[in-house]
Amino acid sequence: MRIGIPRALFYYQYFPLWKTLFEALGYEVVLSQPTNKEILRQGIELCVDDACLPIKIFHGHVANLIGKVDMIYIPRIVSVEPREYICPKFLGLPDMIKNSVSKIPYIVDAEFNMYKGRYYILYHLLNLCKILNINPSRMLLAYGKAMYAQRQFEKLLVKKSAVPLDIFDQKQEKQSQPYIKEDNNIKVLLLGHNYNIYDDYISMGLIRKLRKHKIDFITCEMVEKNEIQEGNKKLSKDLFWTLGKKTIGTAYYFLERKQVDGVIHIASFGCGPDSLVGELIEKRIKREFKIPFLNLNIDEHAGEAGFNTRLEAFLDVLEGMKYFEDNISTYG
Amino acid sequence: MQCCLGIDVGSVSTNLVLLDDKKRLVKKLYLSTAGNPIKAIKKGLGILQQEFKDLDIFAVGTTGSGRHLASILVGADIVKNEITAHAAAALEYYPQAQTILEIGGQDSKIIVIRNKTVVDFAMNTVCAAGTGSFLDRQAQRLGIPIDKFGEIALKSKNPTRIAGRCAVFAESDMIHKQQMGHATEDILRGLCEALVRNFLSNVAKGKEIRPLILFQGGVAANTGIRKAFEEQLQCKIHVPENHDVMGAVGAAILAFNHVVSRQKTTNFLGMDVAFQNYKVKSIECNGCPNACEIIQLFSDEKLMARWGDRCGKWSSIIAV
Repeated sequence: MRIGIPRALFYYQYFPLWKTLFEALGYEVVLSQPTNKEILRQGIELCVDDACLPIKIFHGHVANLIGKVDMIYIPRIVSVEPREYICPKFLGLPDMIKNSVSKIPYIVDAEFNMYKGRYYILYHLLNLCKILNINPSRMLLAYGKAMYAQRQFEKLLVKKSAVPLDIFDQKQEKQSQPYIKEDNNIKVLLLGHNYNIYDDYISMGLIRKLRKHKIDFITCEMVEKNEIQEGNKKLSKDLFWTLGKKTIGTAYYFLERKQVDGVIHIASFGCGPDSLVGELIEKRIKREFKIPFLNLNIDEHAGEAGFNTRLEAFLDVLEGMKYFEDNISTYG
Repeated sequence: MQCCLGIDVGSVSTNLVLLDDKKRLVKKLYLSTAGNPIKAIKKGLGILQQEFKDLDIFAVGTTGSGRHLASILVGADIVKNEITAHAAAALEYYPQAQTILEIGGQDSKIIVIRNKTVVDFAMNTVCAAGTGSFLDRQAQRLGIPIDKFGEIALKSKNPTRIAGRCAVFAESDMIHKQQMGHATEDILRGLCEALVRNFLSNVAKGKEIRPLILFQGGVAANTGIRKAFEEQLQCKIHVPENHDVMGAVGAAILAFNHVVSRQKTTNFLGMDVAFQNYKVKSIECNGCPNACEIIQLFSDEKLMARWGDRCGKWSSIIAV
């Protein structure tokens, strides 16, 4: 049996878990192609009009899997952290797909809800057992392996400051030079949802471009959970959804410690939490930290010129300021 | 004569400037891009060639949205974004500048400078309301020459209020006001105020605007807009003498500094560019589902450059 996983949204967060789990259960895991023009086109065509770009692209990835797999894994993700919810678009994703995409294979849409506690993952697994007709003990064994793989993956992100693509795509890793950080490099905080930042097509190759310019970057995935929590303490009240909380916690943690030279925020057009989070961070930076902040909105626009102009100008600003600081620091 | 050349290929105008070895302006050209940047660049170089027989170009910089095309065409030493270029030019003439307002053909930007360093900037987002091409269109619609726009607007004593948030709404609002019987100068003045209001609340949102304030770009020639800025900011606005070509001046200065500080020789391909026969052909690559549009530049029949691909499959094989 072949099970398909769309290369979008939480693929960037949970792929090692999902892959190991299904392979241990004897499935062949098939990924959709990396995001490309055709996938974007299909996504826009299939998806309801007012969804955000990553959701539209997800539709395209599902369409890309049609005919290549026997079933597609689209869990109904309600909550990934205790006492927190996630964007409702994740919650309704299996329904959106079933409604908008025709001739789809069977959708494995077991609920994934850890609102009441982490161990509630068991319900997800039991659900999967029922749907896929698998012995629960076999499932648990597979889950143990999968969890180990996921932990290893998360460790690499935090300790080695890797990005998911370096790890997932072993072939690519061999081709590209291992990335070496230098103390003197400009360091920016790269904020935004992992499925926007790490998707080379959506983010218009932002990570490639930053590496080419020898700019070090920190993303929300490279930060320990307790650090994010500490950053969030600066807010009088916790933000509503997990992803926004992660972004703002990371931002506040690093801003407080003055460890970055600038901040880039990638927001997808039409994302409610993004617009709020971007504004909150920008205001705080303006008030207290006086470092450059760049907000980039991404949508279906294919022209890279506007994106590049803003990014290049921002990098010039960072360089200019660093150079200027170095100049005055020698005089104390 | 030893000169450095700056080229700014914008959406509406293509500007060329020559600076001498003391960075003084020798010649500026403000040409219409008219949808064909290659032709505009060739025309510009042709004019310079005719006027200055003994031209020795030692540095070339390009900027503007067509900067990459221009750099391939002429062989630039430096290719810079508009923001850095405008700031470089402004600081050359006004070292105390702290804010630059720039309104061009299709974009508007604000650049915040402190201690001669750019510290923040913003550009208009999806909407191009209030930029040069919109003003141009409205002037055309009302049947007044664009260079008289500001002058006529300033005659107004009682400007009407026009919604400036969106160009489409602004136009229908203007038509409504004109059908109500408002005088043309009141409508024009109202439009100036609406556009400035829109600029300050959208592009300059949250930015600290401190004097000295410079107003650059083609629209700076419009005295109506300039006046509206002064009224709303309650501060004097300086318009540099060569406000319309500041991007090109900036590119020239950056190229000058780049070449002189590194003691390089220029990549400039020579004035002959003006007389070459260029052709562009675009093809769609079908190597992968991205279906990138590849643009190929031919000089006579020789392939000069290719670009537009995401993977580098085409752009890396250049026949030169």
